[in-house]
Amino acid sequence: MTDTEHIVLNETIHQPTRLRIMTLLVSQSEAPRLTYGFIQSNLNLTGGNLTTHLRKLEEANYVQITKEFHKNKPRTWIESTKAGKEAFAEYYTNLRNILGL
Amino acid sequence: MTNQNNLSPESSLNTIHSTMNNAQSALFMAGTASILLMWGALTAVGYLADFAIANLAPDFADEYPWFRAPLWAVIVIIGITGSSIIGSRATLNLADPDTARRAGLKVFAFWMVVVAATWLIPGLSGLWTVAEPGQHIAGVSVGIIALGYILFGLISRLAISVLGIGIGASYYVPAHFAGDAAAAITAVLVLILIVAGALWLKKTGVQ
Repeated sequence: MTDTEHIVLNETIHQPTRLRIMTLLVSQSEAPRLTYGFIQSNLNLTGGNLTTHLRKLEEANYVQITKEFHKNKPRTWIESTKAGKEAFAEYYTNLRNILGL
Repeated sequence: MTNQNNLSPESSLNTIHSTMNNAQSALFMAGTASILLMWGALTAVGYLADFAIANLAPDFADEYPWFRAPLWAVIVIIGITGSSIIGSRATLNLADPDTARRAGLKVFAFWMVVVAATWLIPGLSGLWTVAEPGQHIAGVSVGIIALGYILFGLISRLAISVLGIGIGASYYVPAHFAGDAAAAITAVLVLILIVAGALWLKKTGVQ
């Protein structure tokens, strides 16, 4: 048994859609928060699919969802929390360790 | 080690890298599909007007051989204004105003440099004073614009670079082989190319 067999990947992040959402949120260094529409169009997701996965990430305290009005139009903002950034960093490190990188 | 949802570590890492690559340029690409469609229509109108004036009003074209300069200046001004409005609105729908403004200014500056080059380089190299300056200036300007698309594609989506090569070919091939019909053929080719490019971008999630 090798050491890498003991590494456990975060179940919440280790799902294709949630992994893409988290990657998008933590990799936008210029944008601290993104709109729901941006994530949906960038990842080519349906509204229902995105909402379902955001809810799971919010339950894990990995993202914060806020609703605001901009020029009388509702806008939903998503940003990764400190816990979310740390969980993603740990997931990425574990992934690289498993792959021996 | 867990293996939920059939996502292998290799594919997880690939997913992270491909999402990052797309994300980094996403703000710069806001509104690109709509902007491309607008430029496709404007460029086609420009070439068709060029073709119509040269063939239907040859006396006018002979008397005012510089008619292309104001024609394309008007098209470029409409295009820049339209692109700024579309790009600004699209970016504001994606990120907070400060981030949107920063991204918008970078893209605007990039394209303004390209547009300025299409005027400055022919001017500084003396093309305005040669015989039949229109053809020479158009040839150089199209090359600079195609190069702009290629460079923008290298920092955003490779499809934009391919589009740049196509735009160059749409001008140079008819210009060398199609004689008087060159402008009309270029108009049709550019329109087809840009509509195809915009549709492809929309399909890949670019608004």
